[in-house]
Amino acid sequence: MTLKELIATIAKGLVDHPDQVSVREIESDNNALIELRVAREDIGKVIGRDGRTAQAMRTVLTAASSKLGRRSHLDILD
Amino acid sequence: MEPVDNDDPKSVDEKIDSAQVDDDQELVLPRDADKAPFNAADDAPAGQDDRGDVAWNFLTDVLREMQMEVTVHRRKPREDSGPDEIRLEIVGHDAGRVIGKKGQVLAALQYLVSRVVNKPGQPRRHVVLDAEGYRERRDASLATMAKRLGQQAAQEGKIITFEPMNPRDRRVVHLALAQFADVVTRSDGEGEDRRVRIIPVRK
Repeated sequence: MTLKELIATIAKGLVDHPDQVSVREIESDNNALIELRVAREDIGKVIGRDGRTAQAMRTVLTAASSKLGRRSHLDILD
Repeated sequence: MEPVDNDDPKSVDEKIDSAQVDDDQELVLPRDADKAPFNAADDAPAGQDDRGDVAWNFLTDVLREMQMEVTVHRRKPREDSGPDEIRLEIVGHDAGRVIGKKGQVLAALQYLVSRVVNKPGQPRRHVVLDAEGYRERRDASLATMAKRLGQQAAQEGKIITFEPMNPRDRRVVHLALAQFADVVTRSDGEGEDRRVRIIPVRK
């Protein structure tokens, strides 16, 4: 799905190990839960100082979701 | 009085290096085609600026995944900015969505592009995204306000403190007042609470 690809694209740009980026999308009705996993040493890169990078990804994800008439939530798993 | 180390406003938020970006080419966002959408009619120096290309490619990919109907243009750095500035402008049907409420989506995209372009160990490149002239209009009104407040600070001999602002907006204020001999500007506070102060210079 496209929201999953969106998060994968962003995460791969941010990390040192793009091959270790994996994203899962769990759908229910109009909601999507996006789970992002990256290499252990890349977790800081997708969260960012004070969570700013994660927040920016969520803002972009929300904008993309609303165009699709959906809601979504991003979880960064470690 | 303590010396105020603030003669270079750029050093406050962003360090500018001296790489060269001198293209102003139009780039078309393909719907699903592969990359290389450089407009043949304006084939100025693609490939002269690798990190500018990284920025454009990343933004193009993200906007495509967002299914936004827009195109991304490469712009020359602004005159009041360093020559290393990477400036991208988004235009098209979905520009409003790409800007978002109070420019939040645009700001988030800009932050992400900057994170992608500025990896540790490289000189920092300043990244600016605009969409349909939104940021330019907003920056212009912020700069106008800063100049007015700069005059007020100088006339009344008092320090004027702004509301907390993000680095980009603080930079606009610093640059707007950089040529004002009667005041200096500096940022104080940490993180979300960082604010610009306009400080009159004693003569």
